[in-house]
Amino acid sequence: MTVTNALIACPECDTLLALKNVAIRHQALCPRCGVVLYQPRNKSIIYTLSLSMTGLILLFPANFLPLLSIKLLGNSQEGTLWSGVIGLFQEGLWSVAVLVLLSSIVFPTIIIVLSFLISVHLYWRRSHQHLAVWMRCLQHLEEWAMLEVYMLGIIVACVKLADTTELKFGLGLYAFVSLLVINALLTQNVDNHLFWQHITKLRTHDPIS
Amino acid sequence: MTPSPSALSQGLLHCHECGYVASISLVNKPCPVCQSHLHTRIPHSLQRTTAYLLSSYILYVPANIFPIMNVTQMGVTEEHTILGGILSLIESDMLPIALLVMVASILVPLLKLIGITLLLLNVQLRWQRNARLWTKLYRAICFVGRWSMLDIFMISILVALVDLGSVSKVIAGPAATAFAAVVVLTMIAAKSFDPRLIWDNQSPRKSRP
Repeated sequence: MTVTNALIACPECDTLLALKNVAIRHQALCPRCGVVLYQPRNKSIIYTLSLSMTGLILLFPANFLPLLSIKLLGNSQEGTLWSGVIGLFQEGLWSVAVLVLLSSIVFPTIIIVLSFLISVHLYWRRSHQHLAVWMRCLQHLEEWAMLEVYMLGIIVACVKLADTTELKFGLGLYAFVSLLVINALLTQNVDNHLFWQHITKLRTHDPIS
Repeated sequence: MTPSPSALSQGLLHCHECGYVASISLVNKPCPVCQSHLHTRIPHSLQRTTAYLLSSYILYVPANIFPIMNVTQMGVTEEHTILGGILSLIESDMLPIALLVMVASILVPLLKLIGITLLLLNVQLRWQRNARLWTKLYRAICFVGRWSMLDIFMISILVALVDLGSVSKVIAGPAATAFAAVVVLTMIAAKSFDPRLIWDNQSPRKSRP
């Protein structure tokens, strides 16, 4: 490796440190501010690849099958991930609708697609001119995908509805919970440091980019 | 404690995106690894954080006084503010859920606003003590930010499910937009704050003019 340098700087307190090898299941902490500098992951690339493939499959049932249905005085109503967005939009709260759309549907989807694209390229050691851009997007979007918060929202909504209506969980809810677990595992398994190292390596070996 | 050199004092800078450590002469130029713009610190961090913070303070008021949702049941329409929703949960003996909603939609936004204000004061007034603790506060603020979206997601689910004409209907209120804006703005404020500014104050007093 030619570009990789042995120095790292703490992102939170700017302390300059020499990079040492960290064993799997260990963390490197900043001696000054205590932030986790580096936490290597076991088989990060292949895990990311398989997790993102599972995620790609789960995206469809989680998005389009009903999550919940309620029954009240003979009337019943089903709700999918999309119907909340549509409902808010119809009531004129388009900004809230867009926010819910982004954080519960668009960003989680992009994260899975990007993780898939990046890990496919890294696994087969293929270079791509947008690899670095994808990786940067992935790092920024992690915070804005809020499936686990949405799940908590579903639970609170269920509690509110439980005493007045008849609630039924749909197949979509199971797919949604699996998607949420996959997404959480993905963010945990992507080893940013390792990925950037590989991206650098591919770039220097590739005369085109 | 022995003073550890900061990257800046050694004439080095750290890429915010990929962690590459580069010479300070590359400032404002694209990073050799990921092509993002290199900076020693997040540009205009304090000004941007202050602007986002002030906007969220202003929006925090309508978010709490206007109704966040209107619930119609059997022809009777009730307006719920954020606090009203929690009180009705307590009345129906669902204390744990009420506590959860209270933490997510009242305590967390309020503590975030206060926390970011304190961080800004810390940097502006050069408080030199307990930098490690302040960094922890910053990390906590970044971590809890997204959980305030709970209320917004819950409303979007209720809006989608409870739409049974005059029998039962939930309509999102104007406070939903304001509250969503507070959550997003405080998240962006936390992201634009550069925690390294806390540590830059740690340098000996005599070096300051």
